[in-house]
Amino acid sequence: MQPQEEQLNHSGNPFSQWVEHVTKQLIDDDAAALLSPIATDQNDAAMGMLTALFECAVAISLDNLGEAHRMLLELSQTASPYGPSPAERVVAHFAKAMSSRVVNSWIGVCTPIPVDFRGVHAAFHVYNTTSPFVKFAHFTSNQAILEACSGHRRLHIIDVDIMQGLQWPALFHILATRAEGPPHVRMTGMGASGELLLETEKQLSSFARRLGMQFEFHAVEGRFGDVADVSALHVRRGEAVAVHWLQHSLYDATGPDWKTMRLLQGVGPRVVTLVEQEMSHGGSFLDRFVASLHYYATMFDSVGESGEGERHGVEQGVLQREINNVVAVGGPTRSGEEKWMRWRREMAGKGFVQMGMSGNAMAQAQLILNMFPRGYSLVQGDHGTLSLGWKDTSLYTASAWTWPNHHHHF
Amino acid sequence: MDANPKFLNPRGDMQPSTTTTSSSDSAAEGGGEAKWAAKLLRECAAAMSQKDSGKMHHLLWMLNELASPYGDPDQKIAAYFLQALFCKATDSGRRCYKTLASVAERSHSFDSSRKLILKFQEVSPWTTFGHVASNGATLEAFEGEPNLHIIDVSTTLCTQWPTLLEALATRTDDTPRLRLTVVAATAAVKSAMKEITPRIEKFARLMGVPFELSVVADLSKDSLTVREGEAVAVNCVGALSPNLIETMKWVNPKVVTVVEEEADFSSNRDDFVECFEECLRFHTVYFDMLEESFAATSNEKLMLERECLRSIVRVLACDGDDKVEEHERERGRQWSERLREAGFSAVAHSEDVVDDVRALLKRYRAGWSLVAAAEDDQTGIFLAWKEEPVVWASVWKPSK
Repeated sequence: MQPQEEQLNHSGNPFSQWVEHVTKQLIDDDAAALLSPIATDQNDAAMGMLTALFECAVAISLDNLGEAHRMLLELSQTASPYGPSPAERVVAHFAKAMSSRVVNSWIGVCTPIPVDFRGVHAAFHVYNTTSPFVKFAHFTSNQAILEACSGHRRLHIIDVDIMQGLQWPALFHILATRAEGPPHVRMTGMGASGELLLETEKQLSSFARRLGMQFEFHAVEGRFGDVADVSALHVRRGEAVAVHWLQHSLYDATGPDWKTMRLLQGVGPRVVTLVEQEMSHGGSFLDRFVASLHYYATMFDSVGESGEGERHGVEQGVLQREINNVVAVGGPTRSGEEKWMRWRREMAGKGFVQMGMSGNAMAQAQLILNMFPRGYSLVQGDHGTLSLGWKDTSLYTASAWTWPNHHHHF
Repeated sequence: MDANPKFLNPRGDMQPSTTTTSSSDSAAEGGGEAKWAAKLLRECAAAMSQKDSGKMHHLLWMLNELASPYGDPDQKIAAYFLQALFCKATDSGRRCYKTLASVAERSHSFDSSRKLILKFQEVSPWTTFGHVASNGATLEAFEGEPNLHIIDVSTTLCTQWPTLLEALATRTDDTPRLRLTVVAATAAVKSAMKEITPRIEKFARLMGVPFELSVVADLSKDSLTVREGEAVAVNCVGALSPNLIETMKWVNPKVVTVVEEEADFSSNRDDFVECFEECLRFHTVYFDMLEESFAATSNEKLMLERECLRSIVRVLACDGDDKVEEHERERGRQWSERLREAGFSAVAHSEDVVDDVRALLKRYRAGWSLVAAAEDDQTGIFLAWKEEPVVWASVWKPSK
């Protein structure tokens, strides 16, 4: 069972030439960005590895598994994930992911094995402390939620992929000390593991209690897109609903995009805070490969500023997992289901109205960046998006949306 | 058209696997469950041996999801053994071995190899154990001899000899002359010796030991000579073979020092599961030792781990008929039998040498111990990691 996107309509040579033409620029750009201006033996080696990696990707896209396997064996023996060169480290992690893909392609379809969610959450926690991306997502979204829901007495926050709920204590704190008094807060937290949701519930409930804020938590096990009916989300009259979604490639948190969109429309929220990775998940294997190599090369470069132990923890625990998924047969969802390129574009076309991220949100983001080493960049985009990137490359983009008829649903 | 037809996707002739075995599932759900790798790997090897392709594919799939060469020791063992099992399943063992051998040759410079060996010696007695045991035995056998000739059949790149030269220099008697003949079996060793020769000659000069070094291709009469009045020692580290045992007789050695890793990868070649078990056992101990000896993100540790892949692929994915060039590995007991049959008799390491080895082990982290050969027919001493014997050192002389 071959996902549609993996099949190729191209004939041998002209395709290879086209790929080489398209990717050469990217190799040069990546290499230029990642290698120091002074050419050294190490840089030559890294350049050679990047080129070899591209060749492997082409082989895989042409279903030439034998050749890909041979080249990957070589790369896996030479590229080190521990060295000072981010180019070499990203090659090492991609080589590992592509080796896995070669094995999977050969085996065919098998029943999926459960994700180690506890492990993923732990790695995510480290990620939160070593890179500003998670805090950026949390704080800008909290600001947008705060602004959209000001004046409301009853709040309902739906966190589409709550994990350990790291985001919410900061918001609760602000809500509890609101001038107009704290609102009643209901939270619907979604996730794959009921056990872990219970733990998150305990933490958040206890925190809200300490703040003297009225709080209710509903755990909903499963993926947001798989929820059959809006009623399962416990949305009630008179509430201001905020839906929050921090997108990642660690596992498939929401399921098919069209289903997710349909449910979002059904909820009719006051605000949707969306944080997207600046990397398109759609297209053929080669498209994904080229887009993600550029993305993760930049990520590896940014993580390089942290201490070695932490750096490896993030690279191995978070980035490797994402790369495995992006490169896998069927892409991040591992199912071949179509993933939209940019959710922002879809939202606009499906009835949502964009709300610009305010100056306050920008200020929050800047405060966060001050806690981290230099090199990160903040960009205000069209229609009020806010992007966080490393040097010249945007990596995560936050946007806020409202469903214009939200008060008509009740 | 792909050269190796087995690599074409076998999806055509196979149903998607939906077989589930409860033991495998429970192992996978862990990821946190210790030793899940060994469990899955063993089940996979058994399935391969029974030609149960559905089960094998399922297990390979799971291993593929959980393994990582950059993770914890379980994930690493899973990653390397998965590669070998994959080579076996796709009948590409020989080709993969060749690729690995050629990469190794290309990427190991003299500097990087030497740096690696020295770093390894710094954090682990894996190799220095053999050096101390063998040098001690050789010096004792050479007591009173003025002209010494050591024939070195090893891959130690002469890291064994500085301490020996030092010992010779500090003997109260007249310092003897030392002639060292290094047998360089591969192009890599031969090329490394070009760099090493001037360095060790210089060291010997500094020590005040009259010294001669020559590099030869093998132990035949055409390649090297034994001079009148010389006392000869053969030093064999990780290079023993039935052929070598026969060939070395003509030099009439006063002493033969043997150091081998304690692993049997030859006698069980006909039984895949048994062979697999032994390969897994040894490498699990080795990887565990590496993990505790080096820092978490050590490149040297990574290189040593990666080097294992070649040998694991050879043992598990290359048929015996293939005659892939590499050192056949056996345990101390097996080598002892061969040496006895060839007309050698064992010599015990003296108390002094054993004391020296114990003193050496104290310089390293906890976990190491010295184990003497247990039963009557066993000889030599073992270096043990967490009680598991890993390196065997023994001493022999021709029985008269």
